[in-house]
Amino acid sequence: MNISETIAHHILDHDFGVMIGTVHLPFTAHTVTMFCISVVLFLFVWGMSCNGKNIFARLLHTLGEEYVCFMRDGIVVPGMGEEGKTFLSYFCTLFLFILFSNLAGLIPEVKTITSNISVTGALAVCSGALIVYCGIKFHGVAGFIKTFVPGGTPWWLVPLIFPLEVISLIIRVCVLAIRLFANMLSGHMVLLSLLLIVFIIGQMSKIAGTGAAFPAMGLEIFMTFLELLVAFLQAYVFTLLTSIYVGLVIHSH
Amino acid sequence: MDKLLNPDFGVFALTVVNFLLLVWLLHKFAWKGIIGALERREKQIADDKAAAAAARKEAEDIKAQLDSKLQNIAAEATKKMQEAVAVGNAQKEQLLAETKQEAERLLAQAKEQIQAEKTQALQEIKEQIVNTALLAATKITKEQVTQKTAAQTVDEVLSQLSERKKK
Repeated sequence: MNISETIAHHILDHDFGVMIGTVHLPFTAHTVTMFCISVVLFLFVWGMSCNGKNIFARLLHTLGEEYVCFMRDGIVVPGMGEEGKTFLSYFCTLFLFILFSNLAGLIPEVKTITSNISVTGALAVCSGALIVYCGIKFHGVAGFIKTFVPGGTPWWLVPLIFPLEVISLIIRVCVLAIRLFANMLSGHMVLLSLLLIVFIIGQMSKIAGTGAAFPAMGLEIFMTFLELLVAFLQAYVFTLLTSIYVGLVIHSH
Repeated sequence: MDKLLNPDFGVFALTVVNFLLLVWLLHKFAWKGIIGALERREKQIADDKAAAAAARKEAEDIKAQLDSKLQNIAAEATKKMQEAVAVGNAQKEQLLAETKQEAERLLAQAKEQIQAEKTQALQEIKEQIVNTALLAATKITKEQVTQKTAAQTVDEVLSQLSERKKK
């Protein structure tokens, strides 16, 4: 058994190779999972918005309102101020999309799409685009460019500071993507490695493999709970940092 | 494993499209409703709180007005009572003074009356003495009494006078 290949098989994306003429469509395991998550997420949130008469619908609606309150008062307004309320829908969707994606990875046979750098990169680019959009919306193009030069900077330092600030913004966006990707990937690799320990030891000796299964299972359960925590934590961190970065651009002075 | 760090542009683009579409769909069909309901409820609560605060302020104003009125009434009542007591005292003093004056007047009048009656009585006695003296003198002259009979006559007159006094 090649450990590296086994891990890669579980972690890496699989292209289904769908072609329309000569155009290769990106239908992969991760994109299909992403569609499914999107549909489930849409139905879930839509269900929360429908204020029905039965108790379940009411509970779901209350949950939705509590969630929106949490996002607004815990993430968006502290990070961006009152101006952030305009983008509340974006942040509500972002948090749940990342959370559902992270949690889906804990279901057997479902891929963790947030352990794909293309997916996390896309989410980070969307956040980056929001940062630029807010900068232009609240300061204008020239004003947004000026935010890259902190007030009181000597004129001769501007050529140095300006590129540094631009790079800083790009790095922030990249870090958003890499943090989520690395955390989710490493968590699943640890889970997989713990499982593989049992099989590796079992190949050498069946008795030893059986003996190793118990501590490995204990660790596996512990790591699964830890992953559950990480799933929430990473969704929270990604959303919170996005709101803070957008807030920094809105309130640059 | 190298594939892990090689971004797939197709997946990247599809994720962007999928995510933005999801944001738009959820904004249109879900979040708007939830946020709207939440804001309506918050506005309702804020309005209710403002109305309650206004009602409370109004009640406090009314209470303050009533308290002020009560204080005025109490002060006025105290003032009126003090005035009544003062008037009562003044009337009492006046009555006492009048009574005293009246008593003094009556006393003086009685004294005057007694004095007048006394004077009148003395006058009457004097007149009687004079009359008696005249009577005695007349008797003496008419009957040519001796010194002895004259003395008897004077004694009779005096005894008559003392009897009258006793009466």
